[in-house]
Amino acid sequence: MPGIDKQKLRFKVENTQNLPTIPATLKNILNFLENSSISINKISDFISKDPVLTMKVLKMINSPVYGFPGRISSVNQAVLLLGLNVIKGMLLGVSVFELMQKAMTGLWEHSLGCAALSNLLAKKKGLKSPEDVTIAGLLHDIGKVLLAVNIPELYEKLIAATDKHGFTILEEENAVLGVNHAEVGSWIAKKWNFPNQLIEIIQFHHEAHKAKTANLECCIVHLSDVLIRAKGFGFAGDHFVPEVNQHAWDNIGLSEGDIKELLINMEESLEDYEELGA
Amino acid sequence: MPKISVEGLKPGMVISKPVFNENGVVILKENTELTENIINRLKKMEIEYVFVKGERKFSKTKEEMILEVEKRFERGQNKPLMENIKRIIKEHIEELYARNR
Repeated sequence: MPGIDKQKLRFKVENTQNLPTIPATLKNILNFLENSSISINKISDFISKDPVLTMKVLKMINSPVYGFPGRISSVNQAVLLLGLNVIKGMLLGVSVFELMQKAMTGLWEHSLGCAALSNLLAKKKGLKSPEDVTIAGLLHDIGKVLLAVNIPELYEKLIAATDKHGFTILEEENAVLGVNHAEVGSWIAKKWNFPNQLIEIIQFHHEAHKAKTANLECCIVHLSDVLIRAKGFGFAGDHFVPEVNQHAWDNIGLSEGDIKELLINMEESLEDYEELGA
Repeated sequence: MPKISVEGLKPGMVISKPVFNENGVVILKENTELTENIINRLKKMEIEYVFVKGERKFSKTKEEMILEVEKRFERGQNKPLMENIKRIIKEHIEELYARNR
């Protein structure tokens, strides 16, 4: 029995910046992202005005998760190099860090791990902009954060029930809410004017075969999500490995050796993950 | 490559990742061997931790890790693809621990 009105939930989620529990900086960022006319200059100014935010963005860009060999020392340089959409995503990623940690212990680690694997896989597949896929890996579970801040007591119960029911968090959400974090994430990604590719990956990261415009990218994030959970890095809401999407598996076509290499490389890129966002 | 707080550093340890100061300038290169002097300098500069060469400490034994993998994959029983991924992960864990020996 769905215990919640989907339209009401959507309204709540889309107006998350009005919640009393949201920190002031994040409110500003969410308001800013909602504005569809953000330009490269505007976003550089916005980030540069806030030294803490600047530091967080630079730390993230220079981290092994993105694999930039050189050190990027200014926000301007970062924006030019990565493009508006990646910076928008990163701005959100680093700013929801605290919220993510409060909402669900381990979700930040899960997201970072997924981002690191997505980055490695995107490069392996020769994609032109691996950073776009990396940011999608970082934000794929943003819907969980929104559920956790908008319906905290209920969401906590859902997480707690997964072990008892033998459900993944996705199944638990579908059963109780009649909607899941992937859909919730897509609501907000649309509201925040994220590019279609990112919206699609967030929406279909559990059903990669449904992604139309960014199918390979979506398959990459899906497989990264499964592999990072299989490895047991971070916590994504339950203790099970969700079933891998056959289409994604076939589409990416990794050998056993590839996967082992990927996991070892990821290990190295996440050794100093603790400093990210902190 | 363990990450060690500056308080826990001892002379003779070798730096495995460059150390930067707050302006992003490299103050210690990879492969630098630490001395009392260098450690004191790091403390004065309020550097919190550095990466040094050597064994990484795992928080769990290999057997615990493998057991947890089995649990996580409980739902994938009898699904060949999931069984396959489980085996790869277990072999990966074996490899990680073997490297550290």
